[in-house]
Amino acid sequence: MATKLEPDAAPSGRPLTDDRLKEIYYYLALGRYFDERMEALYRQGRLPGAIYSGRGQEGTHVGVAFALEPDDSLFPTHRDLTAQLTKGLDLNRVMAQFWGRIDGYLRGRDGNSHIGDWYGHRTYAVMSHLPIAYPVAVGAALAYQRKGERRVAMAICGDGATSNGRWHEAINTSAVFRLPVVWVVNNNQFAYSTPNAKEFAVPTIAERAAAYGIPGVRVDGADVLEVYAAAQEAVDRARDGGGPTLIESVSLRWRGHAGHDPAKYVPRELLEHYMLSKDPVKNFETYLREQGVATDDDIDAITARIEREFDEGFAFAQASPFPEPGDVTKGWWVEDGYWTSDPGRGGGTETG
Amino acid sequence: MSTQTVESGAAGHGAEPRGKRDDDGQATYLIAIAEALWEEMERDERVYMLGEDIGVYGGAFKVTEGFIDRFGPDRVMDTPIAEETIVGMAVGSAMEGLRPVAEFQYADFMSSGFDEITTVLSRYHYRAGVPLPVVLRAPSGGGVRASSFHSINPEPWYAYAGGIKIMCPAFPSDAKGLLKSAVRDDNPSMFLEHKWIYRRIKEQVPTEPDFLVPISSAAVKREGTDVSVITYGAMVHKALEAAESLAQRGVSAEVVDLRTVYPYDEETVLRSIEKTAHALVLYESYRFLGIGSEVAAMIAEKAFEHLDAPVVRLAPPNVPVPFSPPLEDAFLPQVADIEAAVDRLAAW
Repeated sequence: MATKLEPDAAPSGRPLTDDRLKEIYYYLALGRYFDERMEALYRQGRLPGAIYSGRGQEGTHVGVAFALEPDDSLFPTHRDLTAQLTKGLDLNRVMAQFWGRIDGYLRGRDGNSHIGDWYGHRTYAVMSHLPIAYPVAVGAALAYQRKGERRVAMAICGDGATSNGRWHEAINTSAVFRLPVVWVVNNNQFAYSTPNAKEFAVPTIAERAAAYGIPGVRVDGADVLEVYAAAQEAVDRARDGGGPTLIESVSLRWRGHAGHDPAKYVPRELLEHYMLSKDPVKNFETYLREQGVATDDDIDAITARIEREFDEGFAFAQASPFPEPGDVTKGWWVEDGYWTSDPGRGGGTETG
Repeated sequence: MSTQTVESGAAGHGAEPRGKRDDDGQATYLIAIAEALWEEMERDERVYMLGEDIGVYGGAFKVTEGFIDRFGPDRVMDTPIAEETIVGMAVGSAMEGLRPVAEFQYADFMSSGFDEITTVLSRYHYRAGVPLPVVLRAPSGGGVRASSFHSINPEPWYAYAGGIKIMCPAFPSDAKGLLKSAVRDDNPSMFLEHKWIYRRIKEQVPTEPDFLVPISSAAVKREGTDVSVITYGAMVHKALEAAESLAQRGVSAEVVDLRTVYPYDEETVLRSIEKTAHALVLYESYRFLGIGSEVAAMIAEKAFEHLDAPVVRLAPPNVPVPFSPPLEDAFLPQVADIEAAVDRLAAW
């Protein structure tokens, strides 16, 4: 375990108690278990649509999202479902979304990890054109600053999205106005099949922060506490008026871009190295045992809880009705009332 | 048809736009738009503006001149030249309870923010149920010798995206009332200000703080019995000029101003067709897949039994707006073209 962070050194002022450390482990293990089970269902032909595995990157997802307060907003990508789960999304409704059911957070309007729960957990419904949410996060942060609210926006994208003009636009603009936003790049080394070396010519993404006059930090995504410490520092800085931070968290995408992709372009030795030595879930489990934070019984209990929650979520999703075909055009305009008609299902409420 | 270059420069003096009206109380289209913005900023603190050079400079066409002195730089926000981020910022701040009005220097530059407009702004409410009360304002349209990158009529691109109400007013009062409605609407809006009209058309404009023109309502700007000219934007003025000339020759043309092009007011269009039985659809966006293409198709589907002649479209060809005056004049429908088209229709 590379991190030197002591539990009482948590920069948020909220100490990393044993319970919170076990909570971190729960989210890491939940993300891993969900990812593996959903892939199995996908390969069995029992899951419609697509899956985008975040396996191997759970340290990044949990580490950054664990630094957010409930009122802080998160603008993730399709690969960051574990970050949304860490923000608190309900597994039942997540799985209903995967099966296109009315009880999904987006009521069947979108599927898989293109998910979000704005009114409940302040997560933005994922869009594919990365980093399309980066400019939107600037706007949320602008609203917090303008209204004098001590809130923070956090956006995640991958290494490939840093090549896109919006990445520059958004970070630059957030720096100009010193907005309360945290920019996270989940550098899993491959943008679909394209390696870092063909996406940018600088050695690291973090050093590009200098071009915007903001701090940049590079962390090991296999070490959830290292990621968390960097994220908490960035969140605190943003909340205190210190402006944006760029965090590059390095990991490896263990699976293909999506479920159909065998990812043969990833060198086998590299993959084996990461799976054996840089597994964020296993490493943290080992750390908890070594520190005496978690016993075998604790780990077993967390595992059993996750398995139970997954099975309940699966059953909930299968039992949830499909959306009404006749509602296909509803929700186009606010005044048709579709999203406010059944808040228990859609989660939508009017703007305040 | 004017042969001047694009105008700029101060609209007048005094902080409040209303102080810039003529001595007889008439307001230009530009001043009417400024009045709408000023009044809505005064009414609702959540309303703010963002865009390039709108603050200290007062905007490329000086619509927001003087606003920063009254409302300050936080609510009249100069941004970097980053159109995707301007739109994204508007979206994100709307999600958190503000009501942004983003200005583009020209409607042409909206395409630099195309993805945030067509992928985020237009679809987010349908997908996720979060209202986005965002207004995007931009000067559009040709006829001012501004050539390919400062003359576009982009409304078909964004109407096709769906989810964004698109307004193209032709008169100062309509512009003021529609813009105020757009700011108060919980849906995204695109408000296209025809730059040819900015300082050419003036009229008495209502001053009541709650003067609103409903979105998606067309207006008959001239009654007639022989041919309906369905149009919007600067072409309304061309159509009215043509109708006046036609009347002197005994041809009665009715001019229907759509005012909002998406979603547009089918009822008013159909009522006019039922009366005249002849439809000329006149528009300044490209002929192929323009707004008028959709209107013509709708008339053919829903009013076939009322028609005495095929629906006719009059619109520019699908080429970039050219600069040289004879080329641009050939590109844009002219009054004589409208008269000729109405004459041909009336002869059926």
